[in-house]
Amino acid sequence: MGEVIKVDAKGMACPGPISALTRAYRKAKNGDIIEIEATDPGFKPDVQAWVKRTGNELLELTEEGGVIRARIKVTAKRA
Amino acid sequence: MAKEKVVILGGGGGGAILANLLPQDRFEVTVVDKSEYHVFLPGFLWVAFKGQPKEKFRRPIKSLLKPGVNFVHDEVVGVDLNERTVHLKGGGKLGYDYVVFATGAPLDFDAVPGHRELVERFGDFYSTLENAEKLHRTLASMREGRFVIAIADPIYKCPPGPHKGTFLSYELFKRLGVADKVKVVLAVPYPHVYSSKTIADVIEPELEARGIETHTFFTVDSIDLEKHKIYSLEGEELDFTVAAVVAPHTGPQYKVEPGNVKDDSGYIKIDKYTSQVVGFDDAYAIGDCTNAPTSKSGVTAHLQAEVVAKRLQGFDARYSGRTNCPLITDGKGLFVISDYDHPPIPVRLSGLKRFLEELFVATYWSAIKYPELWDPIFEAYFEASAPEVFLRYGGW
Repeated sequence: MGEVIKVDAKGMACPGPISALTRAYRKAKNGDIIEIEATDPGFKPDVQAWVKRTGNELLELTEEGGVIRARIKVTAKRA
Repeated sequence: MAKEKVVILGGGGGGAILANLLPQDRFEVTVVDKSEYHVFLPGFLWVAFKGQPKEKFRRPIKSLLKPGVNFVHDEVVGVDLNERTVHLKGGGKLGYDYVVFATGAPLDFDAVPGHRELVERFGDFYSTLENAEKLHRTLASMREGRFVIAIADPIYKCPPGPHKGTFLSYELFKRLGVADKVKVVLAVPYPHVYSSKTIADVIEPELEARGIETHTFFTVDSIDLEKHKIYSLEGEELDFTVAAVVAPHTGPQYKVEPGNVKDDSGYIKIDKYTSQVVGFDDAYAIGDCTNAPTSKSGVTAHLQAEVVAKRLQGFDARYSGRTNCPLITDGKGLFVISDYDHPPIPVRLSGLKRFLEELFVATYWSAIKYPELWDPIFEAYFEASAPEVFLRYGGW
């Protein structure tokens, strides 16, 4: 079982949240889950584009009360 | 009344300006730096891409400080905020009434496999004047192939630096008559070619018009010098003939007690408005060494130095988070203007702004040594170009 890495990017302006995700991804291993919360509206399309580009798995993407929450399963890291 | 002792760690832009702003009838000011020289970091671009002499961008720190400011040439190895003591490598100790961290953000060349060898081979335009000189020699001898500029971590100083390097290297290759044979490539960690989409929209057509190849979501993970490949964290790879990669930055490497004043990345945690170190009313941090959520840039250090100078004298000054990062192309320029309440505002490229940037560079040493002369001019400029002013009355 991988670890769950929580990233709080609430209040950060673009590109803060995607930068925080990149930094978390550097430390992550395949099998880990990154849970990131952000309030910047640009984060939604950005995280979708990021997942598509990197080939990781987007488990969940929700928006509630202005908070965008993404759960990403790390599957595409180079061994 | 006895003078209050202010110890400033670092004689770069922020540290030197602060030292020169503090009234000496009230404060005994000491600047500590491990280097005898103050280096104008944006000068790396001029050395690497224009071949200017490195001596132009380096001055002895002592010569930039007002008479009466003490300079200690030694390395800080520890700061004990509870004991109010700065420990020096030479074995000495400095007590203080106020301490100000201004030691910048060192680069970590061990974070990315292959990076040290890359810099050793080609030089770069982010670390030292010597490496900038080396990069110039490397580029000047290129006749064909791909010159790749890439970034290893999304948080780095001077956000437009890699873009400036991109445009200026294109200009250099054009001057050398090899622009049609050398491909300039820029790879950034962001979803767009610049961290702010507003600015990306302005420069993207400029990059395209020059045939510059761009890659987004590309954060350097490792470099293979023998295979001439850069691999990204996102799973892609780029071929290069010559490459310059911006290294991940770190917070201060010396020990600070209590340890919890540093964040996860090692940056000093401060109140973003007052620059006060969290939990201490006699410690401040300015410039690249802090965790303030603004660009790591000389303008930030300068404006924070002014805020700290005023606060030490009892005024309630606050830093708005204002940035004014110049982004120059071959011939034109713009300033990335933002603050804590406004993301970068729409601006356009113009020849005047490029000229203004040259003017800033030309007046740099004077602005460091005589901030009392230049600050009223800067203040008027920053007020006139504040994001809310531009948004209400239109930008430029």
